[in-house]
Amino acid sequence: MTTAAHDDAVALGRRLGVALSDEEIGRIADHLGRIPTATELFAFDAQWSEHCSYKSSREHLKKLPTQGPTVLLGVGEDAGIVRLGEWEGETYGIVVAHESHNHPSQVVPFEGAATGIGGIVRDVLCMGAEVIGVADPLRFGRLENEHCRYVAQQVVDGIAAYGNAIGVPNVGGDVFFDESFNDNVLVNVVALGLVKEKDIIHSRAPKDSLGWDIVLVGKATDRSGFGGASFSSLSLDEEDAEQNKGAVQVPDPFLKNVIMRASYAVFAELRKQGITAGFKDLGAGGLAGCSAELCAAGGMGAEVALELVSTAQKDLPPEVIAIGETQERLCWIVPPAFTPTLLSIYNELYSLPRVARGACAAVIGKVADTGRYVARYHGDVVMDVDLDFLTGGVRYSRPFELPPTAPESDAADRAVVANFDRPLALLTALPHLLGHRDVASRVSIYQRYDGVVRGVTSLPPGYADAGVLVPVPGAPLGVAVGIGGNPRYGKLDPRRAGALAVVEAVAQVSAVGATPAGLTDCLNFGDPTIPSQMGAFVAAVDGLSEAARGIGVPFVSGNVSLYNRSSSGNHVAPSPIVSCIGTLADVAVARTMGFKHAGSPVVVLNGPAGAFGGSVIADVLGVTSRALPAVDLDWFTRASACVRAGLQRGVILAARDISDGGPLTAAVEMAMASTEGFGLRIGGDGVASAQGRASQYDETPGYVVEVGDFAAFIELAAQHRLAIRLDMRTIAEPLVEHVDADGDRVAAIALDDLRRVWEEPLRDFYGAAGAA
Amino acid sequence: MSARVAVVVFPGTNSEDETVRALQAVGLDASLVLWSQPEALARFDAFVLPGGFAYEDRVRAGAVAAHDAVMDPVIEAAQAGKFVLGICNGAQILAEAGLVPGTGERRRPTAAFAPNTSGRYQSVHVHVKLNVAPERVPILAGIEAGAVIPAWASHGDGRLAAPGEELARIERDGHLAFVYADRHGNRVPAPNGSALDGAALVNTAGNVLAIMPHPERDAWTFQHLDGSRDTGAMLAPSGGIRFFEHFARALRLREAA
Repeated sequence: MTTAAHDDAVALGRRLGVALSDEEIGRIADHLGRIPTATELFAFDAQWSEHCSYKSSREHLKKLPTQGPTVLLGVGEDAGIVRLGEWEGETYGIVVAHESHNHPSQVVPFEGAATGIGGIVRDVLCMGAEVIGVADPLRFGRLENEHCRYVAQQVVDGIAAYGNAIGVPNVGGDVFFDESFNDNVLVNVVALGLVKEKDIIHSRAPKDSLGWDIVLVGKATDRSGFGGASFSSLSLDEEDAEQNKGAVQVPDPFLKNVIMRASYAVFAELRKQGITAGFKDLGAGGLAGCSAELCAAGGMGAEVALELVSTAQKDLPPEVIAIGETQERLCWIVPPAFTPTLLSIYNELYSLPRVARGACAAVIGKVADTGRYVARYHGDVVMDVDLDFLTGGVRYSRPFELPPTAPESDAADRAVVANFDRPLALLTALPHLLGHRDVASRVSIYQRYDGVVRGVTSLPPGYADAGVLVPVPGAPLGVAVGIGGNPRYGKLDPRRAGALAVVEAVAQVSAVGATPAGLTDCLNFGDPTIPSQMGAFVAAVDGLSEAARGIGVPFVSGNVSLYNRSSSGNHVAPSPIVSCIGTLADVAVARTMGFKHAGSPVVVLNGPAGAFGGSVIADVLGVTSRALPAVDLDWFTRASACVRAGLQRGVILAARDISDGGPLTAAVEMAMASTEGFGLRIGGDGVASAQGRASQYDETPGYVVEVGDFAAFIELAAQHRLAIRLDMRTIAEPLVEHVDADGDRVAAIALDDLRRVWEEPLRDFYGAAGAA
Repeated sequence: MSARVAVVVFPGTNSEDETVRALQAVGLDASLVLWSQPEALARFDAFVLPGGFAYEDRVRAGAVAAHDAVMDPVIEAAQAGKFVLGICNGAQILAEAGLVPGTGERRRPTAAFAPNTSGRYQSVHVHVKLNVAPERVPILAGIEAGAVIPAWASHGDGRLAAPGEELARIERDGHLAFVYADRHGNRVPAPNGSALDGAALVNTAGNVLAIMPHPERDAWTFQHLDGSRDTGAMLAPSGGIRFFEHFARALRLREAA
């Protein structure tokens, strides 16, 4: 094709404002042998975006382990599925999806966060599953910054407004506040679904689906969210904020609530009639992207008539109808004989047109066997491309520089220890830890979310390290969801941060007695065209892979979010965020984290490493250490098995993983969570030295457990070849008491005073309900 | 045969499944009826309006649903003495329909469940205590005086509000069915700022009850968040299920009569 034609194609692309490179546009023009239409350019813009094609990340993601006996459906479709267990002869699976909605949430936080929930919920729904829970890892800027305060408020409001309305319980998540997120908030969301193995619906046109109907369901298509996919692959620029707002979709949880229920009714009807259909949600790339991927996955083709799409405005240009990312839409591929049933369920029984203007289910095309995607608008062909070329995407091998790895000790660590020379320092540090922005109580956020709708929640957020659901009515099967990912570690060593994220997520589900069944990740990084940023991503994937293989848990789904940087060059802290899904054969094993008895030994599993880099205590003391704890995966796997066994046998009464703030902080939170108001006594040789006192704030991974039958626990620990530390006991009095070797009181602080310090920071920011 | 109970679903309802499970657990023949099929309501003995955000809480929580055609048969049934229970959004709908505290004038609300004093949706575990004589709530047959029920207050608009004289009437004439309490039954201030610490309203005849907190969300041992979950029998009905047992008993007595 002539250079002149090339130049015309590129000029058209530039005029349309697509994010495709000149070279990419050239490739498209060469492949088509002509100048692409506007619709085609927008379609490729979305499909070849980082967001859809993983063009920079794919070659590295191959390193992650994805196989295992717990995997019912691995990486590849909208979501993965892990085995929950058998009940009454049926095998149940838990659908797991993980997404980010970072860019939209920075530009319009309420809508951005809300549509984040909306999108992930569709990813789970389209597997034929009932949506049973969501969890939100959030990374906010520092609240000293006015705009960060606004974003942090609006994001929580948006999540609450959407999740509560659709009736999906919010069962977990975490929040960090760091200046690296001042210009780029991270809003990740994990969603879980329940499906019987035999009822899984795939996101592809079934075999022999030639001539089947392509049915679009949901909200009337409008201009909202046009160009969203490529927008999320751009750096955020203040000046562009206004125009970028057009690329953010508008959420409608009210309509989604009804679409979900109508879709459940369709699932039931399909099962009754024994029909295999294709189902997929419309996300990045809109109608064309979704229907193209459906047909490509099934090795088929598509013939679509855009004028059949229900639109909110008259005369929407065909490229907006085809590519726009209007929310609350899904796409079915069903045999024509079933179409009338499908349409009547959505349009009459659940009366979508009555619920929202223009909302409906409508046939918009047919499955072809051409391997091409052909879209017409009032008869004119506006898109005619080879499906494999469109959806095959592009690949880049980005140059990268691996970051230095953190040392395992740093001279600065001694400065932390030196601060504990005086015995009194052990408890005087405590309020500073509990009031730290990354430790302070999140309860005022949890209260904004409905954690118990659907009536299947066993442990809502805040009652244990992991949220626990009992999703199969009448069955004791439990599902636990844990979240890990510490930005303070990410800044020091992305590889170690990746490994520690896996470890923390696994530790959280183990702390409620659940067995890790699968992992899902959301990898939030900066600009991949900058070698150091790409290197941070590569290193983090290495760390995730290393830990997942060492522990023996597969990744079943995930998401990559790059270009999280502002025009001012502020890149987010490398943020590999991991969620672990654990399963329980009997939910009775899952205990709240509160102390259960007075006088129980409180045991710490794992000796301290003395590496205080990225720790809360170092931040509190203003010490800058670069040292991160090494992760002994063999030790961690044994310790996790010991905690699970202890909970299963009732030897352990309450358990927590060690994370922000270290073992003493974790134990004090267990005391504050005790419904009987039991306190904590700490003393003995373990805290007789400055080293020992400092170690109570050491964040080396491990567990803190309240032990019932101590002899049985010692035996259990020995079986798992674990050393234990016993410096703490529960007490009847509601206070934290430090005693010396003779048992005489050194210092004490009332739990109520500690609770006040712990709850204040976010309670004042997010508000709290009155006495309950 | 057990009494047939319709769980009425509006666009935006979100607590219908657990409500059906709770009703079935106490031996009732409960099934869902969608807003699009009001004619189906004729064959039912009692009606339950579950939680959610019917019609997106437009105008006022429950206001649009109260005027939905599907409410006509429910309002007629209520005025004919059939049992009608509203939970959370269902309670808001019953207040907007004028059925509680009740003046006989349909769709003329005299009290409302208004936005929480915090101005926010909030979900907290609570207990509610029966605040009237048991004979004042025949819809909960056999409930003992001062009974304490565990539940979740999960709402943005749960604050009982009414003009001063109407509040006086609500208290004087025994319309204040439940108040917020601690687990020992001591009355406590409502988490949402409700007048009179009110958590539930009953009509004059005692056949229509509107309760804001969700007993169906603390209905099984596995949902308990204190030591009482450590009984092992995690799937055993408990706590909030007692509330539904009294409702089932009321229906059986009605059938026997």
